[in-house]
Amino acid sequence: MGLSGRFRSALIIGGQGVRARKLRTFLSMISLFLGVLAVVTVQAGAEIANRALLADIELTRGKDGTIQVGLPQHEQTVPIAVDTLRGQSDAVAAVSTQAVIGEPGVTPINEGGVPFEYAGQSVGRGQYYCDGRGACYSVESTEAPAPPGKAIELQIVGLTGDIRPFRPFYAEAGRWLDFSGEPSLSPGLVLNREAAKGFGQYRVPAEMRITGASVNSTPRILGVVHDGQSRPVAYVRADELDNWLPAANGNSGASSHLYLSPSATRLEQTLNGRLAAAGVPMEQSYRDVVNSKERIGGQLALMRLIFLGMAALVLLIGVAGILNVGLATVGERIEEFALRRAVGTPRLLLAGIVLAETLIIGLLTAAAAVGVGVAGLEAAELLFGSREPMLQGVQFPWQAGVAGVIAGLVAGVLGGLLPAIRAARIPIATVMRA
Amino acid sequence: MTPLIQLTNLTKTLKGQGEPRSILSGVDLTLHAGESVAILGRSGSGKSTLLSLIGLFDRPDGGQYLLGGSDITRVPERRAARLRSDEFGFVFQRFFLLKHLSAAQNVAMALVNGQGWLPRRKRKATVMAALERVGIAHLAKHKPPRLSGGEQQRVAIARALVREPKVLLADEPTGALDTETGALVIDALHSATDRGCGLILVTHDHAHANRMQRVVRLADGVLVTERQGVFP
Ligand SMILES: Nc1ncnc2c1ncn2[C@@H]1O[C@H](COP(=O)(O)OP(=O)(O)O)[C@@H](O)[C@H]1O
Ligand SMILES: [Mg+2]
Repeated sequence: MGLSGRFRSALIIGGQGVRARKLRTFLSMISLFLGVLAVVTVQAGAEIANRALLADIELTRGKDGTIQVGLPQHEQTVPIAVDTLRGQSDAVAAVSTQAVIGEPGVTPINEGGVPFEYAGQSVGRGQYYCDGRGACYSVESTEAPAPPGKAIELQIVGLTGDIRPFRPFYAEAGRWLDFSGEPSLSPGLVLNREAAKGFGQYRVPAEMRITGASVNSTPRILGVVHDGQSRPVAYVRADELDNWLPAANGNSGASSHLYLSPSATRLEQTLNGRLAAAGVPMEQSYRDVVNSKERIGGQLALMRLIFLGMAALVLLIGVAGILNVGLATVGERIEEFALRRAVGTPRLLLAGIVLAETLIIGLLTAAAAVGVGVAGLEAAELLFGSREPMLQGVQFPWQAGVAGVIAGLVAGVLGGLLPAIRAARIPIATVMRA
Repeated sequence: MTPLIQLTNLTKTLKGQGEPRSILSGVDLTLHAGESVAILGRSGSGKSTLLSLIGLFDRPDGGQYLLGGSDITRVPERRAARLRSDEFGFVFQRFFLLKHLSAAQNVAMALVNGQGWLPRRKRKATVMAALERVGIAHLAKHKPPRLSGGEQQRVAIARALVREPKVLLADEPTGALDTETGALVIDALHSATDRGCGLILVTHDHAHANRMQRVVRLADGVLVTERQGVFP
C-alpha cells in the first residue's frame, strides 16, 4: 500500500503540475521536438549518405573483396583473356572500346563519349579518349574534323560473363545480357542510363561503328541498367563483340579489365601464364583488391562525427530552450515544492515526479520526432523515389531512432531536472518565512 | 501526563551573508494536548524561526526537542516529512494556496503527499468534512483567485486540519485580514483545540492572544511567560 500510495500521489501531483503549466510544457516540447528532429534528420541523412556512397562504390568499382586486374594493351591480350575466361563464373573480363552509333562519317554529338550534358563543348581540335578505368584524356588531332551529324559516341564493354556478382547494376528496363547459347550475329546491347538518355534525346540511325572494326553492324537494344557511370556505356557479350573486332589485327584502342572473386587464384595464375607466354608485358599490369568499406571507413566516421556534432549543437539549443522555460518558472516551482514539503511530501518523491514528468515529455517528443522523420522519409520516397534511386527502398535507419530517443531523454533530464533540483534545495523555512 | 511538545534550552543561530546571528538563545516551551499558546514578540524577534523549528522545517543548533516524549532534536529529513504530514498542521500569514488548484484540491494536497493513501471517494468525503468545519464547503470548486482573503485562509486551515494533526502551528494567520474576518479565522483555529489538538499562535493582536490559554513573549532569544494558563 505504501508504494502504491506513493505512486498514486506521484501521478496526481505530476498531472496537476503538467496541467498547471500547459504552456510551459508545450513550449518545452516544441523546442525539444525541433532538436530531436534535427538529430533524427541528421542521423538518417548520414546513414543514407553512407549507404549511397558505399552502393556507388560497389557499382563503379566492385563489391568489397573483388580483385581488379588491368591488363596491358597488346594484340594478344583480348583474345587470350576472352578465351581463358569464357564460361567461368568467378571471373569476368571486361573489354572496353569506343564506338559510334548513328550516321556514318560524322562527328558524334558527344564527341569523345562524354556525358550528354557536356555534348558539343569539346570545341575545335581536341578529342577525348576515355579508358576502361574511367580516366579521360584529351588527344590532339591533326586531321580536319568530320562534319557534325546524328551519331552518339559511347564506350562498348564486352563481357565474358555476368559482371553483376562483382558490380551489382540496377535493372531499369528490359533485360540483362544472356550469356548462354551461341553469340548472335547482331550484337545485343544493354545500355547504361546515360546511353539510354542519349538514344532517347537524339533520334540516331541504328548503325554501329567500332574503332578498328571492318564491318558496321546493326545492334539490338536489350535493356537499360544503372551502372553508376556518368558517361554513356553499352554492355555486350564479348563473343558477339568479337564478331565485329578483327581479333588478329590487335585493336590498340581496346583495354581489358578483369574482375575476379577472391577464390579465383588458380584461374588468375593460368591467365597470367598464358599472357606472359604470348609476350604480353605483364609487368605493366596492375592489380588491386576492392576494400572500400575499410578505405572509406575513416572518411565516413569523420563525416558522421561532423554530422553528430551539428546535431548535438541543435539539440543543445533545444535543451537551452527547455532550461530557459524551466528556470523562468523556478520561482513558482520553489513555492509549490516548499508547500508540498511542508505538508509532508518527501523531497525525493517530488524530485522523482519532476524526473518522470520530464522523461515522459522527452520520450513523447522523441517519439513524435522519430514518427515525423519516418513519415517524412516515406513521403520523400513516394514523391521523389522515381527520380532519385538513392531514396528507393530506403529504410529508416534504426540508429537515427535510437539517437532521437536518447537525445529526447537527455534533453528532458537536463532541461527539467536542473530547475527542479534548484527548487528542491531551498529550505522550506526560507520560503515560508516571508 | 507526557506533554505533546517539550522544548528545553533550544538554540538557533542563522548564518546569512554577514555575521552568524543568534536568533534563539535558549527557548523552553511545553505544550499539552488541547492546549493553546499565543506567542507575542517584536517583528524580527525570531517567532517564525521558532515555529519552523517546532514544525520540523528546520533543526535547532542546540537544546532538546521532545515530541510525545521521543527525542526528535536531530530527526532525519525522511522522518521529518512523515511527522510534518502526521503530527502537524500549518497556517501562514500569506495563505500559500496553489492558485491553479480548486479549494478542494488545495485541501486534498495534504492527503496526496505520498504518506499513506485514501481512495478517491473517501478522500473527497474527508476534504468536504474539513471544508465544512471551517464553513466554506460551498466554495469547494472555486480557485483561490476567486476567494476573499478570509475564505482563502479558511481553505488553508481546512488543509492544516484535514489529517487531524496533534499540533496546529499558525504564524500571524490574521496579519493580512481585517479584524472581523480575523476573528472568524481565530474561531476556526480555536475550535481545533476542542478535539485535543494543541495550538501555537503567533500574533501581534492582543485580542487574539487573549483568547489562548497561555501567552508568552519572545524577546532576546528567550520565551518569557506573560500570562500563565490554567494547565498544571
Ligand atoms: N534566511 C535568513 N538568513 C539570515 N537571517 C534571517 C533569515 N531569515 C530571517 N532572518 C533573520 O532572522 C531574524 C528572525 O526572523 P523571523 O523568525 O522571521 O522573525 P519574526 O517572525 O519574529 O518576525 C530576523 O532578524 C531576520 O532578519
Ligand atoms: Mg514572522
